[in-house]
Amino acid sequence: MDLSLVAFCLGLGMLAALATGIWVAVALFGVALTAMMLLVSAPTGPVLATTVWGASNSWDLTALPMFIWMGEILFRSRLSEDMFAGLSPWMRNLPGRLLHVNILGCGIFAAVSGSSAATTATIGKMSLPELKRRGYDEVMAIGTLAGSGTLGLLIPPSIILIVYGAATEQSIARLFVAGVLPGAMLCVLFMGYVVIWSMMNRSKMPPAEEQVPFIERLKATRRLFPVIGLIAGVIGSIYAGLASPTEAAAIGVLLSLGLSWLSGTLTRKSFVDALMGATRTSCMIAFILAGAAFLTVAMGFTGIPRELAGWIGSLGLTPLQLLAALTLFFVLLGCFLDGISVVVLTTSVILPMVEQAGLDLIWFGIYLVLVVEMSQITPPVGFNLFVLQGMTGHNIFKVAKMALPFFLLMILAVILIVAFPGLALWLPETMMSS
Amino acid sequence: MRAFLDGLYRLAGGLAAICLVTIAVLVVAQVIGRLIDGARKLAGLDPLGLLVPSLAEIAGFLLVGASFLALASTLRMGDHIRVSILLQQVPAKVAAVLEVWCLAVAFALVAYFAWHSGWQAYDSHVYGEVSFGIIPIPLWIPQSVMTAGIAVFAISLADDLLSALVGKSPSYAIANRDDVIEGVE
Repeated sequence: MDLSLVAFCLGLGMLAALATGIWVAVALFGVALTAMMLLVSAPTGPVLATTVWGASNSWDLTALPMFIWMGEILFRSRLSEDMFAGLSPWMRNLPGRLLHVNILGCGIFAAVSGSSAATTATIGKMSLPELKRRGYDEVMAIGTLAGSGTLGLLIPPSIILIVYGAATEQSIARLFVAGVLPGAMLCVLFMGYVVIWSMMNRSKMPPAEEQVPFIERLKATRRLFPVIGLIAGVIGSIYAGLASPTEAAAIGVLLSLGLSWLSGTLTRKSFVDALMGATRTSCMIAFILAGAAFLTVAMGFTGIPRELAGWIGSLGLTPLQLLAALTLFFVLLGCFLDGISVVVLTTSVILPMVEQAGLDLIWFGIYLVLVVEMSQITPPVGFNLFVLQGMTGHNIFKVAKMALPFFLLMILAVILIVAFPGLALWLPETMMSS
Repeated sequence: MRAFLDGLYRLAGGLAAICLVTIAVLVVAQVIGRLIDGARKLAGLDPLGLLVPSLAEIAGFLLVGASFLALASTLRMGDHIRVSILLQQVPAKVAAVLEVWCLAVAFALVAYFAWHSGWQAYDSHVYGEVSFGIIPIPLWIPQSVMTAGIAVFAISLADDLLSALVGKSPSYAIANRDDVIEGVE
């Protein structure tokens, strides 16, 4: 049978399996197994076992459960309250005022947690009711939260960058460092939009809050300093080459437990809940990664990605055209799939194509995560939308509409990192160990 | 039977969590050892060479334990990612049929996987394969743990498949979701 026809049928089979509700990881295994049985004479079962074993027992990957655990611990601490109380006094002079708390709060929480859903939930728990009580525009309150919640994916430590690094054998430390500037840039873009919006819509802004004297501000922020120290410690030690991501994460777990203990939120129940939550989340991701590893090997045997890369190559697209096409494809895929699934499908099938186009794989990881961030706020499947639907009672399409300006800003961010690859690549080049 | 199965899933999940805690403890111990050595160096003393031997391999094996032993409890808590738009839109009867289909496919694949994982562990045992590093660890040990995890997962899928076949809701559909926001990216 013609290879491209088989490839087409496999793709269709994958979509059918996913659409009928088969678990993503199981669908990856199933399609890979089918491809191997149809096209390859290698012994499928032993290849399956050795591939999964090889992909699952990895030192680099141990960073994944550690960072997830750290986020789960802090998620259960007082961070949500501290964040609002600590940030709001500083934002009162900026046009857009407390709306910026959403953005900065998400930015900071993103730096301790790799999860965008946890970021949105933690910040929103406190800020949504507060903003509403003070009479802020609801559309902007929810929109800023939906948009900046996605920062959890990009700002290190990022679960999805670990997944990408593990699947493509890129250095997780370099990926983390590469995500710092683009993440900060997104924060600035979001805040800039809020500033401009609030100057144009003065009527929709509530009356100004009282000013808080400088000393009072510092006092209100004091509980945030340990967290900011934690962030600086974790990211700084990775950047300086003092610790591997796994080591930084394990120390992060220890310090988060300490912070949680100091704030009086560390109980037996919160400890067990956080640990079991982390165990299950990392199990879910590790299972998907195992499926993706098997799919990658199976695809390698079939030669489909090579064919695909050759076909794309024969079209003579410039890298820009290729990226434009890929972005469109990812956004469409992201409407129905979660970010991790998009990333592993990408790395299994289209990575040869990306390499052939001469794109840097660290840069491509950041680009991919930015595009996947958008998928968090595109209906009908977007995890931030689900979280906000649960918190506000508005349905996901309404929330998606509120988040639309931020979706457009993310497209702008993608254009910026395509135009200036140095945004992602400059910082890792300055790392002390490489 | 019910109590035995639930206990089995909980035991596997608990062991997975213990693997994670062990990773954290070992890695923290390694970092502390390095800090002490660094401090001794600064003080002009000879470093003690404190390190956890073969940490990278051992942590990798513990990660395998954590990842695979938790599969069943992750399923039952509804934490494995799936696309559920269709399942939520179709009438309940169609959804029940789809659920049987999903569980049957998953069970078949996972059982196949468990079988070959078991053979891999057996082969490693027969050929006496060990890990690289200071402490050589026989590979059949972590590979058997992986097999056990997948086997428990297969059992839990069969368990849910049987419930779905007799028209009951599978475990993950009725799991107590008081934490809807965690667990996803």
